[in-house]
Amino acid sequence: MRALVIDDSKAMRIILKQILQSVGGTVEEAGNGKEGLEKLKTMEKPDLVLVDWNMPEMNGLDFVRAVRSNPTYRQLPLMMVTTETESSQMGKALAAGANEYVMKPFTKDVIQEKLKILGIK
Amino acid sequence: MSEMDLAIQEFLVESDENLNAVERDLVDFEGHPEQGDTLASIFRAIHTIKGTCSFLGYSNLENLAHVGETLLSLVRDGEITLTNKISSALLSMVDAVRQMLASIERTGNDGAEDYAELKAVLVALQDGEVSEDMASDEGRTLSEPLAIDAPSNREGGFSGERIRDPEILPVEESPSSLSTLEQNVEFLKVESPAASGDTRGSSVTESSIRVDVGLLDKLMNMVGELVLTRNQIGQGLSRIEDPSLLKASQRLSVITTELQEGIMKTRMQPIGNIWSKFPRVVRDLAISCGKDIRIEMEGKETELDKTLIEAIKDPLTHLVRNSVDHGIEAPAVREERGKSREGVLFLRAFHEGGQVNIEVSDDGGGINVQRVVETAIKKGLVTKEQAEKMVDRELLSLIFQAGFSTADKVTNVSGRGVGMDVVKTNIEKIGGTIDIVTELGKGTTFKVKVPLTLAIIPALIVTTAGERFAIPQVSLLELVRVDREQGSQVIEVIHDAPVFRSRGQLLPLVYLNTVIGLDQSSQKDLPNFSMPPISNIVVLQADTERFGLVVDEVNDTEEIVVKPLGQQLKGVSIYAGATIMGDGKVALILDVAGLAAKAKLGNRETEQAEKEDCTRADNQARQTLLLVQVGSQSRVAIPISHIARLEEMSGKVKETAGGQQVVQYRGAILPILRLNSLLAEGGITATDRTESFQMVVVDEQGRQAGIMVDKIIDIVDVMVSSLVISEQPGILGSAVVQGYVTDILDVNAVWRNTLMPEVAYELPESVGV
Repeated sequence: MRALVIDDSKAMRIILKQILQSVGGTVEEAGNGKEGLEKLKTMEKPDLVLVDWNMPEMNGLDFVRAVRSNPTYRQLPLMMVTTETESSQMGKALAAGANEYVMKPFTKDVIQEKLKILGIK
Repeated sequence: MSEMDLAIQEFLVESDENLNAVERDLVDFEGHPEQGDTLASIFRAIHTIKGTCSFLGYSNLENLAHVGETLLSLVRDGEITLTNKISSALLSMVDAVRQMLASIERTGNDGAEDYAELKAVLVALQDGEVSEDMASDEGRTLSEPLAIDAPSNREGGFSGERIRDPEILPVEESPSSLSTLEQNVEFLKVESPAASGDTRGSSVTESSIRVDVGLLDKLMNMVGELVLTRNQIGQGLSRIEDPSLLKASQRLSVITTELQEGIMKTRMQPIGNIWSKFPRVVRDLAISCGKDIRIEMEGKETELDKTLIEAIKDPLTHLVRNSVDHGIEAPAVREERGKSREGVLFLRAFHEGGQVNIEVSDDGGGINVQRVVETAIKKGLVTKEQAEKMVDRELLSLIFQAGFSTADKVTNVSGRGVGMDVVKTNIEKIGGTIDIVTELGKGTTFKVKVPLTLAIIPALIVTTAGERFAIPQVSLLELVRVDREQGSQVIEVIHDAPVFRSRGQLLPLVYLNTVIGLDQSSQKDLPNFSMPPISNIVVLQADTERFGLVVDEVNDTEEIVVKPLGQQLKGVSIYAGATIMGDGKVALILDVAGLAAKAKLGNRETEQAEKEDCTRADNQARQTLLLVQVGSQSRVAIPISHIARLEEMSGKVKETAGGQQVVQYRGAILPILRLNSLLAEGGITATDRTESFQMVVVDEQGRQAGIMVDKIIDIVDVMVSSLVISEQPGILGSAVVQGYVTDILDVNAVWRNTLMPEVAYELPESVGV
């Protein structure tokens, strides 16, 4: 599984990367939505994008919108990482084209469940 | 380091940066509440801390951040407006989070303290009604009020389960909420296109890396060693005539210099790093003093060495506090004096002459010199007689004396037992200086000058009793060479102390060999010591005192690498450190202030003598001039304020560039000025025939040029009133000096007339080693 982790906090990226690696993924990183879009272009067949909600430059919601507006990535599984503060707005993200969301903090098991739902191995 | 440790490490660094930003933004937002994106970034920072905590298991920290985040989200969404009170509480939260982070760094967990009181306050503030209440209560300080804010918590009845219902908000709250809401909508509209528009951005995260300071220190140290080795090779090669080796050595020299500059650059940090704390400091202080103060900054990006940044942090903070507390008046007083209610604290930083200048100015009441004098006399720091003889600048510098404080009452703001004397000592410890400019009723400026770096400094090397010593050039004023016949005229013994008569002023003399105990019997019995054939006097400035240091030999100026002294020698106050010379031997660096203290320089003797010295005229009407000879007869005087250095140059190094004679000088090209054309006599100067010539390096706003002269004669003081103004271009006027009619050079005019503008080279900021 090739995953892209987008979060403005490097500490968060390290944590997320570790969890994804523990379920057998290889991970690329980006610091905000804009960088995420750039990074995505360089990746060969990405399987999953884990994107934070609140980031400078380009937030998670705008990232989801931007990705979905590009036909190449219509099928790319997008998972939003949120906190309960943002969960009320989750509808917006799903409407914009996010496939799944996961609430902080989460464990390896939670991620495995979500991956199963998305059909990613 | 495991992945988790790495994440925690990163979390600590990142959170610290985030908190600094939050602090800055909060203070900023108070001043400019229209900037909706400021709030968004404050919110994001706290949000990020909370989110990361949840993974790392710091539940106390997470809880606190959560409460703060909730409050912030209400402010951000325009449901409540950010009052002074709310930002104070949020700033207290920032402090609490910092404490927890420190605890994590120390012990690995976020500590037992749960900040229940603070949390209660933050929860209480989420209610619009409470924040309305508090509008009347703005002028309080940070520390106590938080407890007062939440009386319900004290009584145990308050546990945060309040129901938030927009309907019970007071009616008068609505308009302001509405307007904030509108602003917010405005901001959202503006933000979206900006956010999605530009996608070219390169990866910011990859263009810079964090480096351990320890590693940089080590690199700096090694570069220092490299510089020493390079100097040794240079010295060794001067005895071997091998062109190819010489070339390689020159290349080595250039590369070493560049490497040294490069490494030094990596250690440079913008002064904005410490200034960023000041808006918060000023805000909190201003509120607690009931003042209205705006802070302005210029030159935030001015860089200096990390060690220096750290060393000036506390002194600068003290100056800022001082200006807020004592400098700027209360709004009512300001109005009375016809000023705006809001006081301005202005911070400015810039590079000049290889030094960093930092200024802290206020537009407050200024320092009352008369009151300074009265206080100083009352506290026994000076006698009335001494004070009468002092000029304003000296009087002002009394505030830097230990035990001085003009504030009538000691406040908890600046009267913390750390006085201005500590500020001065700390600045001087790093080779810096501090000066005051003040105008009663208009304001005060503290001017601080510090070197760019501490690791490598220019120094004068002297020899005494066969040992070499380095004297930092910052304290160096001039070098005087006295031969035996002159000696009896200019060196006198007054009240058992030898003094040196320098242009009408008496300087106490310190014999280096006596002070350091290398006395070789020559000056054992001071009252009737025998004059050595030649005395070399190094005139030094220590604090406010000047004195002459007598050494056996003056060798050369050199850039030296400062090494700290070992623990055993730390207590010896006359040495500031050690360095390794080109030949591999160690030389000690003299601490000029320590030396003056060791020699117990009271200026009582000199003062008394000066009083007796009736030839002393009013200092202000005098000008100090350098006398030189040009051509066979003409004597010309150059105002010493324009002179950077005196040099002896070898005649061979003259070159011509674009019709202008130049020499290579300290790694740069220096245009040469000839005075012949200016002078009535004209003719050929002797310098055209000899192998070497003497050169006066003049400095005009950072640009330098060399004036070629035949002989440097002396330095003299001339009464300005005795000047006869001259019509001749390039000549200020003439005066009778030492029995000769002497023209006084107008350096500005010479620059304008003699030198084509394109050959007025700018010297590089730092001259290489």
